[in-house]
Amino acid sequence: MDDALEQPQFVEKDAAREKGEDESSGDEDEGPDWTKIPNPNRPVIPKRGEKDFEPAPGGGSGLQTHHLNRARAAMFDALRTTRAISSKSVSYAIWYPALARAHVTVARGVHFTSMGHSIARPSKENQSKALKRLELLPEETLYLMEKGALFCWQWMETFVEDDLNSTTRGAPMSVQQAFAEMMGKEDINLEKYHVYAYLRRLGYIVTRAKPPSAGHPAPSAHSHAPAPTVHSGYLRSFFNALFSPFTRLLRRFFAPAFDWWRPLAHRRWLHHSMDYASVFTSLRFIPAGHSRPLMPAEAKLPTTPPSPYEVFYHVYKPNTPFRKTAPPAPDFHIVVVDARKTPFPTIHELSDLYAELPTLPRPLPRRRNLQPVTASTRDPPKAVVTTQKQPPAPWQSLFARLFSLSFLGHATPPQSADAPPERKVNPFMALRQGHKTAVIAAVDASVVSFFRLGEGSFEEWPMA
Amino acid sequence: MTIPIHVSHQRAFIWDVDRTLPHLSQQNVFLGLPLVLMPEEVVLLVDKQLAVLVDDLSAHRTPTAAQIEAWDQVWKKDIAQQVARLEREASVGKEDRSMSEAAVEKRKAREEKRRLAIIQKQQAEGESADSVFAPPPAPPPESSAGQPASSNIAYSVAVPTTSEEHAWYNQEGSTYATLEAARSAGIWSYPATEEEVAKCAVFRDLWEQGYYMGGGSKFGGEWLVYPGDPLRYHSHFVATVLASPTAPLRPMEIVAHGRLGTATKKAHLLCGYDPATKKVAYFSVEWAGFG
Repeated sequence: MDDALEQPQFVEKDAAREKGEDESSGDEDEGPDWTKIPNPNRPVIPKRGEKDFEPAPGGGSGLQTHHLNRARAAMFDALRTTRAISSKSVSYAIWYPALARAHVTVARGVHFTSMGHSIARPSKENQSKALKRLELLPEETLYLMEKGALFCWQWMETFVEDDLNSTTRGAPMSVQQAFAEMMGKEDINLEKYHVYAYLRRLGYIVTRAKPPSAGHPAPSAHSHAPAPTVHSGYLRSFFNALFSPFTRLLRRFFAPAFDWWRPLAHRRWLHHSMDYASVFTSLRFIPAGHSRPLMPAEAKLPTTPPSPYEVFYHVYKPNTPFRKTAPPAPDFHIVVVDARKTPFPTIHELSDLYAELPTLPRPLPRRRNLQPVTASTRDPPKAVVTTQKQPPAPWQSLFARLFSLSFLGHATPPQSADAPPERKVNPFMALRQGHKTAVIAAVDASVVSFFRLGEGSFEEWPMA
Repeated sequence: MTIPIHVSHQRAFIWDVDRTLPHLSQQNVFLGLPLVLMPEEVVLLVDKQLAVLVDDLSAHRTPTAAQIEAWDQVWKKDIAQQVARLEREASVGKEDRSMSEAAVEKRKAREEKRRLAIIQKQQAEGESADSVFAPPPAPPPESSAGQPASSNIAYSVAVPTTSEEHAWYNQEGSTYATLEAARSAGIWSYPATEEEVAKCAVFRDLWEQGYYMGGGSKFGGEWLVYPGDPLRYHSHFVATVLASPTAPLRPMEIVAHGRLGTATKKAHLLCGYDPATKKVAYFSVEWAGFG
């Protein structure tokens, strides 16, 4: 540390200089973040300042102490601000502890295009007739309250529903009370709320993956995914079941015994040309891939806690055209775990997790490798589907395909010889993506880290 | 002066910062209150008798009708005051406001002109259009200027952060000064395992040496260890805790920690806790720099 910086008069000069420059937004002085907040009532997001390496030996120099005190004072000032909102943009809601829902009585602002759900509840005076009303889940209520966009009352016995101006409309809730009340309701815990609020603040649309109550809108199951592997899997198992005695016989007849030392059998009369793809497939005699069933886990006791690795949120990119009543297929599937308690998932937890996820389309080849794109090749899902649905090459009759299925136990990779060469995908991009992806949000005392866990699809890609 | 740490569902929050906090780190400071404390911080603060635990669920009592009535009076009075102030300000600064009467008149005239233009255009296009595109109705006449339309003035509504001002919030009987009391009341169970005990001991030991700890999960450890207040200084270490002298430590972990520490310009701190002697031994891992 410079000796000159430790002179007390430097501190004074520094302070004086800042007094003059406080209004200007020039932030080249290395002031810390919090002092950039000009008015504690209208806090703006401060820029990150620079930090020192360490305090000077013996408790920090005068300059360091001064900066530190300024930063702390500004931080406390900013934290002390109240959540105030104009009466013209505030929304009102009533929290029903028994229902674990907040009924929105006055809805203002754009939040409600992607938050809340309408549900029919019997009204007080007319028990037989159910009226639709807008309700918020605990995390939505908390988020809007914490944001200062919602004023929430707690429902009370004396509450009169019609007269919102009466004095008996319930008890006003503070954010503190809302945290105490709403955590633990409807599967929400602090970790899940942090993830929700973090993503919402960034502009993503976040919904529950599993509808918390009947009548809650949910995306139609995997509607967008063509799920080709699932279909071919069914088809394969169906054919296997149908022909298994038959094929076993045939197998014994045509391929006398599988020779582990010479796996590369010449089956010339079945028209197997010896190209790279078929050599690759015949060398693949160890069964692989996620379609293979796992060894069963040790018997599940009824007391075994459910896997923490379950998709909890569906997340949509901010510019998704979103309709609450019919949410589209989500862009991301988020699993929330407590980083302090949850170990890495076991293989069974992973396979259970991926079993409910849709299969992703293959990543598109990079643009620069392409010819100038035409409108027809631009649409990603379509492009993928076309590769999948290629009619089988003429030499590959149903009979031959059946044989290849029963002999080798897995379908020919769809991108093999019959795929047109210009549609070739970089295998590393596809391998990196995997064919199913979940985003794991690991929360450690309110710090959220997001990880992408993909189910690899190595068995589909010949590295030849 | 002790700090109330508000606990609900085994999580600890700080809801008011009027008292100066001891200089522990907190996450999400940019987001405002509440501050969420790490469990080790809570254990240390309570052990040092700097803080007490408050069971927030039971501290919020059911309000009586009189309490709500009183709150409502304050709320209405506040709104009335705000509206009165805003009206006063509006009448003082009328000249330079866009809401001045001349400006309002001008705007009205412009809107009227536009409306007439639309009607004329539609008439020119033919009568049939009228049924589909009805001309925009004339705006309803403004409520007379003499009436101070209090509903039109936007006052500010404060969403209360803490429950301090609510008469039905009472910490009495819900406050626990020791961890044992809180544990037997079932509101706080950390530390429960041998590993958690070790973490608390290491945290306390580092804190007593004057270090500041922040969450380290983004750096592959329990905490980041700062030589001074994290507001102003960089951290020097990423700490992980070994719960006992016989706790397993794979060589791969050491390599990974060394790699990560080097990439983030920090040394990795292995903190070994011995439950028998209650002492902590520290080892730091750094690349030796032989290429």
